[in-house]
Amino acid sequence: MLAEAKELWRFRELLVSMVERELKIRYKNSLLGFLWSFIIPLVTTAVLTFVFGNFGSIGVESFSAYILAAYLPYLFFQQSVLDSAQSILMQLPLVKKIYFPRELLPLASIIANFIHLLSGFAVFFAYLLFIWIQHRGASPFQPTTWMLVPLLMMTVMLSTGLGLLVSALNTFYEDVKYLTGVVMYLLFFLSPITYLSEMVAYSRVNQDHGGWIFKLYHLNPVAALATGYRQYLLAPPTVTIDGVKHSSVPIDPLYLVWTAFVSIAMLLIGYSVFNRLKWKFVERP
Amino acid sequence: MMDERIPAIEVRSLRKRFRLQNAAIGSLKTALLWWKRRSVKEFEALKSISFDAYQGECVAVVGRNGAGKSTLLGLLAKVYKPTEGSFRVRGRLAPLLELGAGFHPDLTGIENIYFNAVVLGLTRKQVRERIQEIIAFSELGDAIHSPVRTYSSGMTARLGFAIAVHVDADVLLVDEVLSVGDFDFEQKCLRRVSDFRAAGGCILLVSHHLDTVRQFADRCLWLKAGEIVAEGTPSEILPQYLASS
Repeated sequence: MLAEAKELWRFRELLVSMVERELKIRYKNSLLGFLWSFIIPLVTTAVLTFVFGNFGSIGVESFSAYILAAYLPYLFFQQSVLDSAQSILMQLPLVKKIYFPRELLPLASIIANFIHLLSGFAVFFAYLLFIWIQHRGASPFQPTTWMLVPLLMMTVMLSTGLGLLVSALNTFYEDVKYLTGVVMYLLFFLSPITYLSEMVAYSRVNQDHGGWIFKLYHLNPVAALATGYRQYLLAPPTVTIDGVKHSSVPIDPLYLVWTAFVSIAMLLIGYSVFNRLKWKFVERP
Repeated sequence: MMDERIPAIEVRSLRKRFRLQNAAIGSLKTALLWWKRRSVKEFEALKSISFDAYQGECVAVVGRNGAGKSTLLGLLAKVYKPTEGSFRVRGRLAPLLELGAGFHPDLTGIENIYFNAVVLGLTRKQVRERIQEIIAFSELGDAIHSPVRTYSSGMTARLGFAIAVHVDADVLLVDEVLSVGDFDFEQKCLRRVSDFRAAGGCILLVSHHLDTVRQFADRCLWLKAGEIVAEGTPSEILPQYLASS
């Protein structure tokens, strides 16, 4: 694996070029270009503010901030894995023509998406600042905001591991792409993205089972990350369920330790599967 | 015969075997139905071939479809892993990228130059330094700012050629295309190719165009079913090759 890392370093110029190309292609034929990567989170915020502020109110102030905190990293995770899945097949003519470390292709997709995630978070913090100025509510920065760094690292490792795995397998079995799409879709609902993990904690089924559902639920690294982003970037919310006010339910940091473990394992598994298969990409009939 | 020349490519008993699966790969179904997967056939695309290509030389590989020409280029470009044997390339090797391989249709000529030149081994700084030279050589003028999808095949080939000859490769792998564009451009390519060879560059050319082979190659390798059946000057080999088909 060290030899592979060295090889990657040797090809860093190409990686940068691939990322640039990826970013250019994405918005090539659009008038607003890169602005789209700010417009999407901005519009999402506006729509969410309206929808949850008026329809699905659970008594949480600036609920859209809570949604965004989890939705932005989820969007990165989903998009980078799905883009990776396609990356090798889309570039197969080039792959068949010249040597370069094959992992550059999925990595370029992931890095390009990561840049979009960072611009998304820029919008996120700008939004928090805006709320703060307007309502003098919670400060846009929590004492635990620094946790964004380890959270992002875990998210990137998890996405990269899964992206490498899926891109290698999809080159041989195109079912993998569809399967991944379904898994992503299910993970979206199985993780606290459009709702809060407090709703899981105070749910009847969780209360009946002595809190086990809540624990099991957060063994899913995507769920733990979504709750994690909220917990460390935003003030603890007070939720109103069935007219009763409940305090926020933080998760034990041990869940994030578990998530870090899963992410690293995913990265190692993904990369070793990729390395085992990468020479066969071109020999695919 | 003592040879004073320095080999740019040394190929030693190079062998490449492909696994052909009857059911082919393509869906999970074929992977799951493993008991049906008995028909794994092996196909030897190259059967232990050896040759040298020297600096300043242009070697053409001729042969029918399926003789192993592209496999040879693929092995030298490190796209395939050899089953057996080895090869050595002195200096940097660059394949001439054709339409569809390196070019993205939605990107402009300039953007494609940047990407392709870096794929072929330049740093971005080096590309910036010689971008004007590449554009001038391609003779694309203002079209260089248009997306490549608007180019004619001749224009694309010119762009590919302009990039390939500006990346300071020591060995060029050429698949089919060498004469692109009109007469003037072709003359320029010829001059450039001879300059390249005078400076010690080596060209490995695969072509069905026997005229191209006659025009460029010093030496011919005749590949047949994965083996070199004859080797010599184009005037020796080509008549035999033509007679055999």
